[in-house]
Amino acid sequence: MREEPRLTISAVLPPIVLAALALAAPRFGASAYVQILIYYFAYYLTLGQAWNLMSGLTGYVSFAHGALAGIGAYAAVMALNAEWSLALGLLMGPAVAVVASLLIGATSLRLRGVPFTFATLFFQELALLAVRKIPQTGGPGGLALQDILPIWLPQALMIVLACAATLLMAGVRQSRLGIRLLAIKGDETAALSLGLPTGRLKLAIFCLSAAVAGAAGAIHGLFTASLYPDVVFNVDVSLTSLAAPLIGGVATAAGPALGALLYVGVGELLEIFAPGLHTAVIGLLLLLVILFMPSGIGPFVAARLRTSARPTNAPESAAHKAAE
Amino acid sequence: MTLALQLLVNGVVAGGLLALVALGLAVIFGVMRVVNFAHGEFVTLGAYVTWLLAAQMGLPPLLGVPLSFLIGGAVGWVVQAIIIQRVAARPSLDVLMVTYALSALGLGLFSLAFGGDFRSYSAGPSGELRILGASIGYRSLTVLCVCALLTTAVLILLRSGRLGLALRAVAQNRDAAASSGIDVHRTERVAFSLAVGLASAAGSLVSLIGTTTPYVGHDWVLDAFVVVVIGGLGSVTGAILAALAIGLVQSVCGFALDDAWAKIITYALLYAGLLVRPRGLFGEQAEV
Repeated sequence: MREEPRLTISAVLPPIVLAALALAAPRFGASAYVQILIYYFAYYLTLGQAWNLMSGLTGYVSFAHGALAGIGAYAAVMALNAEWSLALGLLMGPAVAVVASLLIGATSLRLRGVPFTFATLFFQELALLAVRKIPQTGGPGGLALQDILPIWLPQALMIVLACAATLLMAGVRQSRLGIRLLAIKGDETAALSLGLPTGRLKLAIFCLSAAVAGAAGAIHGLFTASLYPDVVFNVDVSLTSLAAPLIGGVATAAGPALGALLYVGVGELLEIFAPGLHTAVIGLLLLLVILFMPSGIGPFVAARLRTSARPTNAPESAAHKAAE
Repeated sequence: MTLALQLLVNGVVAGGLLALVALGLAVIFGVMRVVNFAHGEFVTLGAYVTWLLAAQMGLPPLLGVPLSFLIGGAVGWVVQAIIIQRVAARPSLDVLMVTYALSALGLGLFSLAFGGDFRSYSAGPSGELRILGASIGYRSLTVLCVCALLTTAVLILLRSGRLGLALRAVAQNRDAAASSGIDVHRTERVAFSLAVGLASAAGSLVSLIGTTTPYVGHDWVLDAFVVVVIGGLGSVTGAILAALAIGLVQSVCGFALDDAWAKIITYALLYAGLLVRPRGLFGEQAEV
């Protein structure tokens, strides 16, 4: 019997401890500014994990995750404005995002590689254009949340969601599903000929990842309390969701955390020292990382540490063996 | 009748420009199997070069077309030689992300250098020509003629001579081309440089009939992607025909409804097309 690989304590503990610390930050006197930075770190981390679940594991690059989050935000805010309860309204975010992902997935997942990426890019544009046109969504002027909720609520929810998404990524990565998805990434034809239901696997992980993106969008809708289509459906949101894992380390659970940290950190520094340079610097950072650290900063540094540790260890162990 | 003719004229002008942008994308994809997300930034480059020329230096804007082609081609040569060639052998995700990062970098640099203002100039051809009740501005007519000229030149180049042969050979089978003595890397550099040169030339024309912002190329390139996908990835003739078709659809829908609906219908048609023919209308070979 095959045994499913288990999650180790060392994989589960750090995100939970970090989330607990982040939740407790206001008690330790963290300023409102620091709390907002923590919130954005959690938001980018969640988006990054959502993208990572789909694109990191299968190699199908999605540009639609910003739109999926935006759809989640609109669904939640519209439900809450229609006097739905908070829990139900928030659940509408992931629910509608999953429906949207079924739509994109069913039409475009049979396209391998590049055409799929195109299809998601067009979906992002289509969502923006449609939301600007439909009167129910407020058109180009946007939509405001009618009951403003206390700001700690979305902040806490986003921290919990980021932690859950990271654990989900770690869990899926270790599970049989994750290994099958990585097999698709490696060689889809081979995976198919081994009898893997690649179509269903891809659609399943796309829906799961859309649910995470939709939930992030729903909570972000509570946080900002007003939705402007040009902001919510900006391609930059999709860029953010893929920049975090690509910079930190694709298909790993820790990578997006590192990426999101750098993204927020570099973004804040630029905001202070050179506000106009933001897009250019993020582009340059992404370019340099892909050129020189193809698997992301996290795995690159880990590999460096291993190789620099080896020369000191190797002679010793050889000597031990010789002695025995 | 006049109305139909007018819509046709508008559609062909937009389609011609779109064809020029999409042609480059199709050549890059065909020869190198690379999706160039940074293509739009080369359109923007051409637009700003021409704006600088016409509005700042007082030179005729049409001079911007060859100049943009040369500058774009030179930048493209360098980008291909020092960046894209480095990742070409890696998984397609890496190549995609490199061109995407280049696009973000370009967008950021243009925003920094020129700000978000709408730039335009009044130099260049003006007035309009009336044929059978339909009117076509001399600017649009110029754009159309230059587009037709450049497109024909590229088609001839691809179908004749040693260079065209090399380009087609690498597109068909890279390894076989290399083993029969074709310098594949050089051919790829030529292809990339030519394609982005065309994008910059198209950008120069875009500045002639519209306004220039850091996002101008981004808007054009999305439509060009639609064209390349519908035309069959890598198919040059498919791209040209699809560009004219999209130009006409947007012209008619834009009149009957409005521009936003025209775009929505374009993208919806694209999704329907992908469902029916995943490889595009004119695509012959399987996705690599």
